Amino acid sequence: MKSESPYRLFRELMRAWAIAKKDFRLYYLTPGVIMFGILFPVFLFISFAVGRDLSSMELIPGLMAITIFFSASSTGPMAVPSERKSKTYDRLITAPLSPFSILLGETLGGFVFGGIIASVPLVIGIVWYGIEITNPIALILGIGLTSFCFSAMGIMFAAMPTENPGDVMMVLNFIRLPLLFVSGIFIPIKAMGDYSFVTVLSPLTYPVDILRYAIGGGNYYGLAWDAAGLLIYTCLFFACGFLLHERTRKRA
Amino acid sequence: MNAIEVKNLTKRFGDLTAVNHISFEVKKGEIFGFLGPNGAGKTTTIRMLTGLTEPSEGTARIMGHDIQKEPFRAKECFGIVPEVSNVYDDFSAWNNLMFAGELYGISRTRRTLKAEALLDKFGLSNFKKKKANGFSKGMKRKLTIAMALINEPDILFLDEPTSGLDVQSAAILRETLRELNENGTAIFLTTHNIEEANIMCDRVAIIVSGKIVAIDSPERLKRIIQVTQSVVVAFDSNPISLYDALVRIPRVSHVSREGDKCRLYTDDPSAVLSSVFEYARTNNLKLLTMNTLGPCLEDVFLRLVESGKQSFEANKR
Repeated sequence: MKSESPYRLFRELMRAWAIAKKDFRLYYLTPGVIMFGILFPVFLFISFAVGRDLSSMELIPGLMAITIFFSASSTGPMAVPSERKSKTYDRLITAPLSPFSILLGETLGGFVFGGIIASVPLVIGIVWYGIEITNPIALILGIGLTSFCFSAMGIMFAAMPTENPGDVMMVLNFIRLPLLFVSGIFIPIKAMGDYSFVTVLSPLTYPVDILRYAIGGGNYYGLAWDAAGLLIYTCLFFACGFLLHERTRKRA
Repeated sequence: MNAIEVKNLTKRFGDLTAVNHISFEVKKGEIFGFLGPNGAGKTTTIRMLTGLTEPSEGTARIMGHDIQKEPFRAKECFGIVPEVSNVYDDFSAWNNLMFAGELYGISRTRRTLKAEALLDKFGLSNFKKKKANGFSKGMKRKLTIAMALINEPDILFLDEPTSGLDVQSAAILRETLRELNENGTAIFLTTHNIEEANIMCDRVAIIVSGKIVAIDSPERLKRIIQVTQSVVVAFDSNPISLYDALVRIPRVSHVSREGDKCRLYTDDPSAVLSSVFEYARTNNLKLLTMNTLGPCLEDVFLRLVESGKQSFEANKR
């Protein structure tokens, strides 16, 4: 029998990281994630942005926020139901790691994936549009927090007791698409007038705002509020995800 | 300390009680069979014991650790082989084993050595780099067992281990389980295959409609229905009067023909054997075959299942 050691937290983190690596290798370059997580937001963005008088300062942060939003939040809904279907999710539950660590592992995968995907529009912005990063800390903080927040959001939706990733994606898109229009991406927050309060409720508002600040554009809420907004939504998504996954497990 | 201790374990799904206040122990190094018809509660029990679902009532301790209160410690002590082989199809055999090892926090050096040994043991070394989606059902089963053994568990849970396997693969699997058991691993297996329980298990629990109706060794369970003992005989010739003569032997309840043999049902095989010898001698017949057969576990199982179901129906009313 193995003995309990004081390094349990470290051991759990290592096991969570093993789950993240596994997800990355198995699910993230699958057609479902590429379609819903990368191509769909890019083309959606282009269809709304082309022909409109948007500067690169507004365009690139919006594109970055959307790609992170869709890619990071698509990974959990792809991985978790697929694992339920193949019964490999049971393998994670019966392994010696807490439900919290399992979700952390699943979220970490999306976090890394979202961060990598974010570099694509960033490089396009730098090379093609010649944007400059004026605040690297805000950029790193923005990409990091946004990836983690939306990865946690995807994991929360993945608690739906289904074995079909499409079921989760459908519900998730029902939430994700309207958020695009109330987050200051296509319609600036200032231009929303009396309805600008709606943007506070959207978790997508803060990444757009913080990333605009990072490349020298004007931001509406300020760095501290944007970071706090993302942190609050991250905690909310993670806590709700944890409770919902536990409820699904107990009912199984 | 027992390997597994279960007290009043219960699982309800709404109005349905899938597992109803079951209690049992599994000793260290024991092979324990959980036998029951489909839908009896076998898989639900194994799911509760391994932390896949929470019991509505009762406790389960794995190597002394409560699966609900100390899940981390309890889970470090066992490996599980579910009914459906749950390997990662897009991973190679090697990567599947490596990932399983990482989940148990096994160092890279140790899990590399262990994985090599397990692939060799299960005859999968030549398929080390091949993705599991190309594996046969038997190979996936072997890989699932190998993954369950990567942490050298004290207890191995197996849900219907030979289900869907061909005869040869099933025999190899049983042999593997015996070897593991000889090395000290306690084995808890659920099955609806009576013969499997009979030849594999030290003790068997029979579960019907969520309740355990009997727990004992297969041989002791068979004694529950001694009346079904029988003597099978075959002579070098079968005179017309043979059947009538055998039925008239004292203590024989009835006789059935089984091909060129006759089966004499009795509660006293030794007395019947003497009478059969006497009959053969006086009628100048040569005995080709003579076997005494005890009740088989299937007879016990069917009787207990039937009485269990009747009791369940009576309670429902």
